[in-house]
Amino acid sequence: MKKFALAGNPNCGKTTLFNSLTGSTAHVGNWPGVTVDKREGIYKKLAEPISIIDLPGIYSLSPYTPEEVIARKYILDEKPDCVINIVDATNLERNLYLSTQIMEIDVPVVIALNMMDALEKAGDRIDEKELEKRLGLPVIKISALKEQGLEELMSRAFEASGKERKGQTVLEDSALKHLISDVRIALAGQGVENPLFHAVKLVEGDELEVAAHKETLPMIEEFKKTFEDDVFGTDFEALIADGRYKYIAGHFSPVLKKKNKEKFVESRSDKADKVLTHRIWGIPIFLVVLFAIFHLTFSENFLYLGSIFGLPSLEEAGLLTAEGDPINYGVKWLSCIYDGAVYSPGVILNNIWNEMIVGELFGLIQGAVESSGMSSWAVGLINNGIIDGIGAVLSFLPWILTLFLLFSILEDSGYMARIAFILDKMFRKFGLSGRAFMPMIMGFGCSVPAMVNTRTLADEKERTATIRVIPFFSCGAKLPILTAVAGAIVAYFGLGNADLITYGMYLLGIVTAILAVLLMRSTTLKGETPPFIMELPAYHAPQFKNLMLHLWDKAKHFFKKAFTIILASTIVIWVLTHFSFNWRFLADEEINESIMAGISQLVQPIFTPLGFGSQLGEYGWVFVVGAIAGLIAKENVIATFSTLGACLAAVAGLDISGLDIAAESGVDAVQAMIEATGIGVPGLLAYIAFNMTTIPCFAAVATAKAELNGKSRFNWTLLFWLVTSYIAAAAVYTVGSWPWCVVLWLAALAGAIAFIVIRGRKNVKRA
Amino acid sequence: MKIIEILLIIAAAAIVVGVTITSIINRRKGKTSCGGDCSCCSGCCRSVKKREDKSDKKA
Repeated sequence: MKKFALAGNPNCGKTTLFNSLTGSTAHVGNWPGVTVDKREGIYKKLAEPISIIDLPGIYSLSPYTPEEVIARKYILDEKPDCVINIVDATNLERNLYLSTQIMEIDVPVVIALNMMDALEKAGDRIDEKELEKRLGLPVIKISALKEQGLEELMSRAFEASGKERKGQTVLEDSALKHLISDVRIALAGQGVENPLFHAVKLVEGDELEVAAHKETLPMIEEFKKTFEDDVFGTDFEALIADGRYKYIAGHFSPVLKKKNKEKFVESRSDKADKVLTHRIWGIPIFLVVLFAIFHLTFSENFLYLGSIFGLPSLEEAGLLTAEGDPINYGVKWLSCIYDGAVYSPGVILNNIWNEMIVGELFGLIQGAVESSGMSSWAVGLINNGIIDGIGAVLSFLPWILTLFLLFSILEDSGYMARIAFILDKMFRKFGLSGRAFMPMIMGFGCSVPAMVNTRTLADEKERTATIRVIPFFSCGAKLPILTAVAGAIVAYFGLGNADLITYGMYLLGIVTAILAVLLMRSTTLKGETPPFIMELPAYHAPQFKNLMLHLWDKAKHFFKKAFTIILASTIVIWVLTHFSFNWRFLADEEINESIMAGISQLVQPIFTPLGFGSQLGEYGWVFVVGAIAGLIAKENVIATFSTLGACLAAVAGLDISGLDIAAESGVDAVQAMIEATGIGVPGLLAYIAFNMTTIPCFAAVATAKAELNGKSRFNWTLLFWLVTSYIAAAAVYTVGSWPWCVVLWLAALAGAIAFIVIRGRKNVKRA
Repeated sequence: MKIIEILLIIAAAAIVVGVTITSIINRRKGKTSCGGDCSCCSGCCRSVKKREDKSDKKA
């Protein structure tokens, strides 16, 4: 099968083109660096199927970052039948810089002029026929987003793939042309493939080439002794870059006819950036945007309309029966949207999903199981084990999707890239560049792709520090823990409001990440913070198709996980909590004699300083089970709570009929656990803090292992997660229980900072 | 014990064993068994590539 590689600058639309050609649903984002590895798909509309390889976005074929190495290695070593070089037509000169390098390789190349629709909308135009003549390569106008010109592109690429092509260079006017030519002849004589490309790179002083062609180096060194450029001296890399740009400006740029030739026209993006990336207001605006996201997702008082207008509750309006149920079906629907305040969109979707769909469906199944005449263990396994466990996890789907949708809108609009830019100055103080922000914010969705995305960070130590703190950015799977425990705190203790607690805990994760990075970059992972250069993409309205693809992918992943790993885990947990060591079935009230209780009680004392250990008495082990089950998948924590909720409600003498363990998003299950164990608010907050910062799920741990260099670094990372979560949870618990402890923690923090500063000064003196 | 209860035990055991075995196979293949697919990220593919590279070197 023929192989066509897609190569181009970051954010020029390669993945959009890849998706359009192959029907794939690869992640697309409006920021440079979304794709960090090559991926493959099949194009089937030609005479024969073509394998399409989407390469990471690169600015040059120099090996400065891992993605550049991947793209370069693929084109040189895997020898694709054709390279489709995607060029952003709205940024022609800079994009052609890479084209001039690809042209030097002995491979058929086709230029796809993408984003022509945006260019033409601005009133500009490109004479593609003239460009084709000047480049000596086929040039095809396309719009990957609108799927225009794709068939012509593929048929021209197919045509080109059948012909042999020798590399050509634009450095013919360069002062180095004779040297390049001599080196090329020498390399060709040694049987080196793509001699022109290797010759140019060797002259540039490219480290991979220098290592590979040591015998040819003296030729260049000899030339250097007799050469001196007025501007660049003997910096051949700069001289070659200058040569390329001069050629592009002189030969290729004239094909672009600009509508406004002389004056600089400030685009809408530029105007928006004056506010959104403002030196002072940039960060406060970002915090407001972040709060708005959480408010839209979790608030039960949308825009605080209920408080502002003093709206009546359903009970006050006489729409509930004496038992507190809606008087009719219409009111039941209304209760999903309003009760004394209008709910936020996330809460409305969650209520409809839980009350009208999952609740009804699972209620019917549970009723049927109860009336089936099965033994009590079978009813317990299906109703309390499987349905309550899975139901509690599924009940969070609308919240997770709403949160994910809002983050996707930020990403697709181009605002996310700006946040990286405005945070760079602040991040630099902690030893990271703004570039590290992108994988961190991806961590709010899932730690796995976030860790993979750290490949865009060129510095290994910065990358390690970023991978370690990514799990502190609470992923979608941790959301159920946050909302269930926060909801139970509000419902049981009547404290605060749930969305503020949730927002606060998200911020705690971010603060922990900052402190941890500060500590690591000042001690074990000390190093220079690399410069941060990022091209800010133009703002555009998020693409509906992209957003839906993101959501579909997330929902698919969620269901797959719920009905595999979570289902198996709930079965195991139910069995271990309902059978004793001598394999006797236990009633709900007897769970303290279970296998799970026996094992968990052994480790329970370890968690005493965190507020959910020995002080909780005989049933406190249930919190330990939740935390351990969360190591497999974080959704397991809430599934475990719901599975055990019914047992604990019986233990605590609660009226189980008043608690809807599955349908209430785990809130009632946690209330039953509070009643049974007597845990307080500090202990519950510490529990959230522990789960947010401890070792992430299996998948994230495996990814960290694959991405970190060396076993020892991985082992230290595991220890780091354990220690950090222990300290964070202990701080939350002790300060919450005895506020004066804040003095001790601040003193410890000051001590740690003093240690870092003194150590730093000593190192400077030694140096 | 009723037939439906026996079936329930078999189904529950099959789910637990099936998920465990699938996870082990995925791990051996180098996949992270995160439940996602390769359009999300290419972590799995990279792990597979690493293993292939290692076995190539050994060979």
